[in-house]
Amino acid sequence: MKFNTVIIGGGLAGLVAGISLQKAGQNTAIISSGQNALHFFSGTFESMEEPSQQLAELFSEAGIRTHYQAGVRLMPLGTFRPAALSLEDISLFPTSHFGKKVLIVNFLGYHDFFSSFLAEGLEKQGMSCRIHQLKLAQLEWLEQSPSEMRSVQIARIMDRIWDVVVQEVRVLLKDEDTVVLPQVFGLQDISVPGRIRQGIPAQVVFAGTLPPSVPGIRTQMLLKRRYELLGGTYLAGDEATGAHVHEGVVHSIVTKNLDSHFLEAGHFILASGGFFSKGLRSNPFQIQEPVFGLDVVQAADRSDWYQPDFMQEQPYMSFGVQTDAQLHAVRDGQALKNLFAVGSILGGTRPEMGTAAGLAIRSALAAVDQILRRS
Amino acid sequence: MKLQEYTESRHNFEECMKCTVCTAYCPVLQVNPRYPGPKQAGPDGERLRLKDPYFFNYALKYCLNCKRCEVACPSDVKVADLIQSARIRYDKSKPKLRDRILASTDFMGSLARPFAPIVNGVTGLGITKNVLDATLKIDHQRTFPKYSGRSFEAWLRRREKEQAAFPEQVSYFHGCYVNYNYPQLGKDLVKVLNALGVGVRLLEKEKCCGIAMITNGMSEQATRHATHNVAAIEAAVHEGRKVLTTSSSCTLTLREEYPNLLGVDNTAIRDSLLMATRFIYEKLERGASLRFRPDFHKKVAYHVPCHMERLGWGVFSEKLLRLIPGVEFTLLDSACCGIAGTYGFKKENYAASQAIGAPLFEQIRAVDPEVVACDCETCKWQIEMSTGYTVANPISILAEALAD
Amino acid sequence: MNSNEFDVIIIGGGITGAGTQRDCAMRGLKTLLIERSDIATGATGRNHGLLHSGARYAVNDPESAEECIKENQILRRIASHCVEETDGLFITLPEDDLGYQQTFVEACRKAGIRADIIDPDLARRLEPSVNPDLIGAVRVPDGSVDPFRLCAANMLDAKLHGGQVRLHTEVTGFIREGNTIRGVHTRHLVSGEEADYYAPVTVNACGIWGHAIAQMAGVNVGMYPAKGALLVFAHRVNNMVVNRCRKPSNADILVPGDTVCIIGTTSTRIPFEECDHVAVTPDEVTLLITEGAKMAPALSSTRILRAYAGVRPLVSADDDPTGRNISRGIVCLDHETRDGLAGFITITGGKLMTYRLMAEIASDAVCRKLHIDKSCETASIPLPGSEEHSYEAVAQKIWETPSMAQKAAAARLGTSASHIQTSSRTDESLVCECEEVSVGEVNAAIERLDASTLTDLRRRTRIGMGTCQGGFCACRAAGLLAKASGCIEKEREGLVHFMQERWKGNFPIGWGDTLREAEYTQWVYKHVLGL
Repeated sequence: MKFNTVIIGGGLAGLVAGISLQKAGQNTAIISSGQNALHFFSGTFESMEEPSQQLAELFSEAGIRTHYQAGVRLMPLGTFRPAALSLEDISLFPTSHFGKKVLIVNFLGYHDFFSSFLAEGLEKQGMSCRIHQLKLAQLEWLEQSPSEMRSVQIARIMDRIWDVVVQEVRVLLKDEDTVVLPQVFGLQDISVPGRIRQGIPAQVVFAGTLPPSVPGIRTQMLLKRRYELLGGTYLAGDEATGAHVHEGVVHSIVTKNLDSHFLEAGHFILASGGFFSKGLRSNPFQIQEPVFGLDVVQAADRSDWYQPDFMQEQPYMSFGVQTDAQLHAVRDGQALKNLFAVGSILGGTRPEMGTAAGLAIRSALAAVDQILRRS
Repeated sequence: MKLQEYTESRHNFEECMKCTVCTAYCPVLQVNPRYPGPKQAGPDGERLRLKDPYFFNYALKYCLNCKRCEVACPSDVKVADLIQSARIRYDKSKPKLRDRILASTDFMGSLARPFAPIVNGVTGLGITKNVLDATLKIDHQRTFPKYSGRSFEAWLRRREKEQAAFPEQVSYFHGCYVNYNYPQLGKDLVKVLNALGVGVRLLEKEKCCGIAMITNGMSEQATRHATHNVAAIEAAVHEGRKVLTTSSSCTLTLREEYPNLLGVDNTAIRDSLLMATRFIYEKLERGASLRFRPDFHKKVAYHVPCHMERLGWGVFSEKLLRLIPGVEFTLLDSACCGIAGTYGFKKENYAASQAIGAPLFEQIRAVDPEVVACDCETCKWQIEMSTGYTVANPISILAEALAD
Repeated sequence: MNSNEFDVIIIGGGITGAGTQRDCAMRGLKTLLIERSDIATGATGRNHGLLHSGARYAVNDPESAEECIKENQILRRIASHCVEETDGLFITLPEDDLGYQQTFVEACRKAGIRADIIDPDLARRLEPSVNPDLIGAVRVPDGSVDPFRLCAANMLDAKLHGGQVRLHTEVTGFIREGNTIRGVHTRHLVSGEEADYYAPVTVNACGIWGHAIAQMAGVNVGMYPAKGALLVFAHRVNNMVVNRCRKPSNADILVPGDTVCIIGTTSTRIPFEECDHVAVTPDEVTLLITEGAKMAPALSSTRILRAYAGVRPLVSADDDPTGRNISRGIVCLDHETRDGLAGFITITGGKLMTYRLMAEIASDAVCRKLHIDKSCETASIPLPGSEEHSYEAVAQKIWETPSMAQKAAAARLGTSASHIQTSSRTDESLVCECEEVSVGEVNAAIERLDASTLTDLRRRTRIGMGTCQGGFCACRAAGLLAKASGCIEKEREGLVHFMQERWKGNFPIGWGDTLREAEYTQWVYKHVLGL
């Protein structure tokens, strides 16, 4: 099968690249070996400044609602982190004191939302908190399962009964100016978080839960739907296993499902992620990039991969594939002319591109720019 | 090999990162809280089962084996394989009579076919449905697949000579559905392939792929079928023919379940076994051409069956349909229709089955196509019964669009 | 008797201390156990968990071998919920001397250990993970024992017999009257609260730390810390214990235990200062994998969960000032006769396997000092949880149709699983998904087994011991602890500490899926949850 560009990796970086290229009239394919880090998305696009018009358009056309304000956000364990560009779900505040009296509402039987940690964190900031466990008949059937009272399953139900939550909270609300709710709203129906905010006569803050991330999955679904609507070919559950490279040019990709049927293209984007996503693989001796065998920036001695302190930045997280200034991936010291590496597979090798979601978006758009300029 | 250069484990269960992504995509969890979910039933449970089979959980039977967990898994864990192979290894309960009947698709087909008008009449009757419901726990709300009076095999056998005259030859693994219920799909395939200059043959003798036996606790029978089918397909491959299929579930079973669940080696045939849509797409890509009716127009919504999604070959059916002039194409969201072979026929699963399919049915109604395209026969029954829309295999749509 | 006065004070909450407290309490003494950390934090919780048949010692140390097989049979009776009766193989590989097998079997038989030479073919069938190239195999009654459960059950029984336990409490000094120890000064390490306790006898059961405790009391016990490193593989590769049939050496025991298997060990002398911070070196990791893969080739491609090390308390014989004559046997020192210091006993040496015998010896010594004539009953009365032999029967009895978590709880706690609340659905929901630990089981550990931190909970329930190493369960369990303690600040710190402690065991083997898991966990905790 022939495409203008084949993208390896269907997460944030791959989808942003794919959508941009399809919009520019290219015919592209995305090879996605399983779901991706968007499922653990905090909702904040780390290290991103105000979005360019191109990005703002991309988001809004996909139905993704974001907002921008430099400030702080509330984290699930009651701490605060600096944040700017975020999904609409995430409340951004100028300071960590955002109310006087706070009502924290959880659902009875849900253990992945940390009310007491939130209360303690908010009280440290001088706010007074009340915790309430809401018992909802509609969630009772979920409780029959000892393990599946999870964010996504709750969100699926909330898509239908969000108005019940609004009513219940209205009854609960005394003199509180702020309500904190778990981030389990708007999985399929993207209007739900907004409606909750409208319906409750107080400031509503959604605080995160243990994964999976409901706003993250929603973002993934919206981006994928947009990509397919633009005619892109999303090969879900397939995996790039090898490539045909000749004289510094990639000709085609081999995948696990399509075996002898190669995917040919003029350009290729490698957005296969870090260690978790298997963009990078490690064994006791080295770290490798498995599809092309690209050069990987890494410490030679394994004992230099880690920092014994869990909370410190870990050196292995900064390892990534080598590229030239234009993001061309490098193999055996030679830049491959039509292969661009973007997103977490770069690790910390391109500090000017930021980290995490910021790195994914910036590098993807930079690669798209190069490809379109050339064709 | 260097020590620890890579790791391996049964169906990759040790690659599980406990990320819970599979639980977000399991259709059963959305409707049945008694199901432990793919993560618990699969990789989590496996570690306990390795300690003691006592930790086998009979609720694993609620798994549809739709493989959506495997498609979603970022770690390449074969979650559904883990669940099904645990059932094969540890489920000591005997399959019920009902399950044995539902699973024996070719045996039942060969019994029913000669009496097709009577059988169809009887199974269509409300009274029969109620009796089946009460005695066998086959849900009375189900529409039964009709049996055809003449088998596809008999039809093709009478055309052996004519087919042998084509310059290129393929063999066709038609499956029980084409043979006993809907020979027209087989005829459509013959029409399209003939138009490409390809003649169609039967295998020496094919048996049911065994998918329903695997999910209904009859793995020994399934293994016998697998061994037989691999040998039959190998004979055709040995003579230089590709072996084509039109059912995504049969294909997944032959290609993946045989080695992964039943331990039947299929390496000799794996690369020669293709869905017909892939074979045709590849032929067209290499320069072959088809003549289409100039007046053909159809609004088609394509549903990728779960097993097609797992095969990763939905792209061929999609591209092929898009190639047909006059096709107005919509790709439906990736979702399970809920039938999962014999699963939805069981009384205890009926409600779950319909609830799983609801979002898909809703989308189909919203798109309002003239025909829903889909490569799976059980999806066809389910979607037709639940929405009233006609469902056709992409091959049939292709055949219809061909100029005579 | 005042509330701070006891018949005997036991320092050290390892298996020796817990066993001694149980024994003394069962003999009617008023007992107090003081532990500066948690149960089983030293060598008790840092070994293979091998229920020795004694075969390993049969050739070189027949006395230990005889002790082992006797205790092996006793533990099967009194601690059935802590024991897995797996049996073991001693395999001979092509590079080993098959002639040793005969010597070995004869020595076993002499020590009273059943040892059957079996056909290598049968060995391959019995234990499919075993190196298929083996040329000889002997079957012995080895098994596995969970040291955390064993320790918790002993302590629980001591409490049921009126014993008191102070965990996270440090002995800061001894209360001395002339040449007699009258009691101890203590400080609670979390609250900082200080307290004095009095007893006519104090038992030093601190393992390798007994050296420092003895010094604090003004006597010297010649000890030598020997570090042993081990690796935990992420699932059970084998279902029988596998040993090499040769002179005991490095990394030649592979033990299946609960959902994992463990290879070990190495043996390295280390300085005392390192005892609190033992780390596994890359060389040790390589040695363990290389040697382990010789016994079970699958280990070369099986995910590794953790690396850890323990410190054996080796004691030099009193008459040997050079320290060369090191014994692995049981050492019980009455410091009154030995050093002229009354009211003080040290019990050390020995091994997990012989803890009950050590406790009996120490308790006999205590009773002699107190002039109490009560005999030991610990060999015949089952520990709480072990009243029933099979966990299937236990689960059936408590729940009729047990859920997965209930089955798992019965396998972990035996009959004590009946104390798990299952009145609401919330109680049944899972905290730890890898090991199937429910809210009810966590709450029972908090209430009944003195768990006050995440790490304490891990030892009592297995939360955080599974594949994700705490990724999901730590937060959930911290929430439950917060509810019990009411102190969120402490639980937040506890969470950091717990993840830190998990990482300590992960990074020495941080590659492949373990590194993927680490990246995921670190991402979730720092960037998603905001720890």
